[in-house]
This record gives sequence, C-alpha cells and structure tokens, in this order.
Amino acid sequence: MISNSTDIIIKTVARIFIPFIQLYALYVIMHGHHSPGGGFQGGVILGASLILLLITHGHRQAMERISEKLISNFFSIGVLIYAGIGLLCIFFLGNFLDYGKLANLLQVDIANARSLSILGVEIGVGLTVMAVMVSIFYNISKPAQSRKNEENHDKSISER
Amino acid sequence: MVNFLYGIGFGLCFLVLFVLYRGIFGPGVFNRIAAISAIGTKTLVLLLIMGFIYNRAEMFIDISIVYALLNFVGTLAAAKYLEMEK
Repeated sequence: MISNSTDIIIKTVARIFIPFIQLYALYVIMHGHHSPGGGFQGGVILGASLILLLITHGHRQAMERISEKLISNFFSIGVLIYAGIGLLCIFFLGNFLDYGKLANLLQVDIANARSLSILGVEIGVGLTVMAVMVSIFYNISKPAQSRKNEENHDKSISER
Repeated sequence: MVNFLYGIGFGLCFLVLFVLYRGIFGPGVFNRIAAISAIGTKTLVLLLIMGFIYNRAEMFIDISIVYALLNFVGTLAAAKYLEMEK
C-alpha cells in the first residue's frame, strides 16, 4: 500500500508537473501523424501522469481523484469508441474501419474523413491504454488486506 | 559540426561505462538507483545529439522529453518501493 509522501519537494514537483505531463500526452495523441507517437504512446504518458500522482500522494488521495470504477468506465469507453467507429463503417456499407465511407456522415471529402476517423480511433486507443496502465498499477500496488494496513499506517504517521 | 557532435556522443558513451560500474558493483541500492538515473540523463543527451546529426531535432526532442519523464517516474517508483520494504 502506497501512503501519502511526507516529502514536500516530491509532492510540490508532482503537483506542478502532472498537468503539463497530461498536456504533453494530449499533444502526442493529436500530433501522432507528424512526430513519433500516437494513441498507445500518448496513453502510456497519460497513465504515467496518474501513476506519478499515485506514487507521490498515496492510494487514498489518488482513489478520491480517480476511482477504480471510473478507470474501468474509461477503458470500456475507449474500446467503445474504437469498435464504434469500426462498426459505423460497416453500417455505411464498407469494411471494418474503412474510414472513407464516413465522408457523407462527417460532410467532408474522403481524405479528411480518413484523417478525422483515425484521430478518433487514436483517442479511443489512448483512453484504453491509460486506463489499463493505471488499473494494473492499482492492482499490483495494493495487497490483500490493504484497507486495514492503510488505516494503521496513517494513524502512525499522524501520531509522529 | 557533425564531427564535433560525434566526438561529444562517443565521449558520453565512454562516460556511461564509469557510471555503469557504479550501477553494477556499487555498494547498496541507492548508489545503483543514482547510477541508473545518471545513465538515463546521458541517454537523453545522446538522443538529442543523434537528432542533430540526422537533422531531425524536433522529432528526437519529443522522444527525449518522454525519456526524461519516464526516468523521473521510474526513479521515484524505485525509491517508493524501497521505502515500503522497510
């Protein structure tokens, strides 16, 4: 069980850095066709920002910000976006993920429709990867009788 | 200019060996963590030099920012793990 860090430097650095890391992750996702990156890499960076929050501020505060239920919603929504775009292409008489068929729906020409739908798919992949990373880290950093240990640990810290 | 960058790059690669010695044989865990962190920093500079040699600095800057971030988070995670071990 990871408890709240008592070091003010670590906590302040994390608090200042986390928004910029998330902004950079969004840049990696959106800019994946010009520079290295894309959905998976951006998702990993987004997950790293949340893991940084978990490491520095402890389980309890991280769970308040982003609970396990919210995380499982996120990875379902990511898969839904990916599969939804793919199935929408089938609905418009194309193959799975045949983006060109969405041109009529988005009311742009075929090249722009491909670009936009690939961006949508990348956003879905990024959400799923972020949620799965954080979920794995939650699960491996939490022992079985975690709740009781955490309470004892917090009590001993406040007594100190 | 390219020769200068090659010189700096090979110099850094040579310096990594000294840090690697501390990482392998260093007494205690904290020397090893510091050594890994230093190797990560050197790798970051090497990536940037590589970017300037290939004339694609803007691409390699993106990679090196991510490398720095993951190095920071990794060092912090290792330190936290050792704190929990006690």
